[in-house]
Amino acid sequence: MEIKKLIRKFIKNPLNVISFVVLIFIILIALFPSVFAPYDPLEMDVNAFMTGPTKLHLFGTDQFGRDVLSRIIFGVQKSMQISFLAVILASLLGTSLGLIGGYFGTWVDQIIMRVIDAMFAFPAIILALFIIALFGASVQNLIIAIGVVYTPIFARTIRGSTISLKKQLFVVAGKALGKRNANIIIKDVLPNVFSILIVTFTTNFSTALLSEATLGFLGLGVPPPDPTLGGMIGNGSDYLLSAPWVALFPGMIIAIIVLSINIIGDGLRDTLDPRNIT
Amino acid sequence: MKVSYILGRLISAIPTILLLTIIVFFSLHLVPGNVVDIMLGTQNYLNEEQIQKLYTDLGLDKPIIVQYFTWLKGIFTFDLGTSLRSGKAVSSLIAEKFPITLELALMSIFFSLIIGIPLGLISAVKQNSKYDYTFRVIGLIGLSAPVFWIGAIFIVIISSTFSDFSLFGFVDFFQEPFKNLQIMLVPSITLGIMIAAQIMRMTRNSMLDVLSQDYIKVAKAKGLKGKKVIFKHALRNGMIPVITTAGIQLGYLIGGTIVVESMFAIPGMGRLLLQAVNQRDYPVVQGIVAFIGILIVVLNILIDILYSVIDPRIELSD
Repeated sequence: MEIKKLIRKFIKNPLNVISFVVLIFIILIALFPSVFAPYDPLEMDVNAFMTGPTKLHLFGTDQFGRDVLSRIIFGVQKSMQISFLAVILASLLGTSLGLIGGYFGTWVDQIIMRVIDAMFAFPAIILALFIIALFGASVQNLIIAIGVVYTPIFARTIRGSTISLKKQLFVVAGKALGKRNANIIIKDVLPNVFSILIVTFTTNFSTALLSEATLGFLGLGVPPPDPTLGGMIGNGSDYLLSAPWVALFPGMIIAIIVLSINIIGDGLRDTLDPRNIT
Repeated sequence: MKVSYILGRLISAIPTILLLTIIVFFSLHLVPGNVVDIMLGTQNYLNEEQIQKLYTDLGLDKPIIVQYFTWLKGIFTFDLGTSLRSGKAVSSLIAEKFPITLELALMSIFFSLIIGIPLGLISAVKQNSKYDYTFRVIGLIGLSAPVFWIGAIFIVIISSTFSDFSLFGFVDFFQEPFKNLQIMLVPSITLGIMIAAQIMRMTRNSMLDVLSQDYIKVAKAKGLKGKKVIFKHALRNGMIPVITTAGIQLGYLIGGTIVVESMFAIPGMGRLLLQAVNQRDYPVVQGIVAFIGILIVVLNILIDILYSVIDPRIELSD
């Protein structure tokens, strides 16, 4: 199937296009926050403590007189960075475990799947909280915690596809020809689970963002004063009645980012689903 | 047949639960440094003798495998050690706080069902209508919006429009039931909305599948009224996949209680866990995390069994 045909199919839905444009914009913000931010996110304006949205401060200021918009922009960068690296970690770990378990079967698979089952028993946020409780909150530990939490999803998904691919002729033939297992897994199986991997990556990237924001909200995210979206909402919740903008604007931005990723995820799934290809 | 299925399902949970306890227990020992040092932190107010006593009290002078089995035995006898901060037994702390979280969870499930199922049903029956599009967009927003943001919006709106509606100030249900329900209303709707979005999407998908089945067409061809077909024939089958995914919702739900409890100052198990994490009260953290893990495994088994009772077509051999 040609890429062009897939793209044409993807852009047929205007919602996909809008979400894609929004996401590109968000990624640009995350890559070059200082270009977009009107102020330094840590700079305090002594003339404006908790002022509502004005021309000078579009989204208002917080209790230290810091510009909420600028903090959101730098917060987007931190949140996207952490979630992206976490899901990369999860997909590397999960895909390896899934490929190994699914391809070799037997006791190797049994052990891997039992551990995955046990990890699945914990709600994502509890497991992440537990890891942060043990190792402390830092950017690196957040990436590890969220990465570990999302590993089982990748392992399960990739294992399922690997098991069905294993029975396909091209894999069986490769084995008969005496190809090494590692060779078959990397050159034959992996490329065929790639589209599933991309869809899994997209859908879990959005929930990873929510997990990161939740940890930040609970006060277990990136330590202050660096802004993250969840942390801003947590901080702003103390002033909800006097200065609602401090918490509500970052929340709106999280919702917009996650919504656009979810729409793209749905769109990708429909586009890449072989049953839908005409 | 059914009994052996149920037994098999129960037995299959044993390795999962064992592994789960191993993960919880040994993670604590992965922490760099000595557990006692971490527990004491920088404010070391104990003398040498007391520290030594703490070691023996915690059983830290024994080999790690022995420590693990002591702790594991404690889980089954519901003896999870004592809190380092309050000195209370972890199990009695859980017993005291869990009912509050359970109430929150049950109320949230109630709201998620009465919001999610009708919206999903209307969406499916009136597929591609303006209702369908509106509800689907609402559902997607519900999935994407962080629960604490929804809660924050509720707090802002309610406190500015109904100034005499009390949002905070938890009271026990058995002392003041009406006040308790009033306080729990907004938190459980907040949490319910998050789950409702999932339930709505699932109900819609599943009902669309069912409505295209032959027996529904036959029922309609026989001249049965549309409403009767939907409520009597389609809905029952359409709800089955919704129930099976309830297990996945449980995780979201329990994770969500932590956020909502801390937001609305509800003294439940989630808030206890968060406090314990912040105070590095490891026996409490360990106890609650293991409790939640085991609870979810057990509830998932119950859902599986319930599923097999509701839908007799399901092969019990799996």
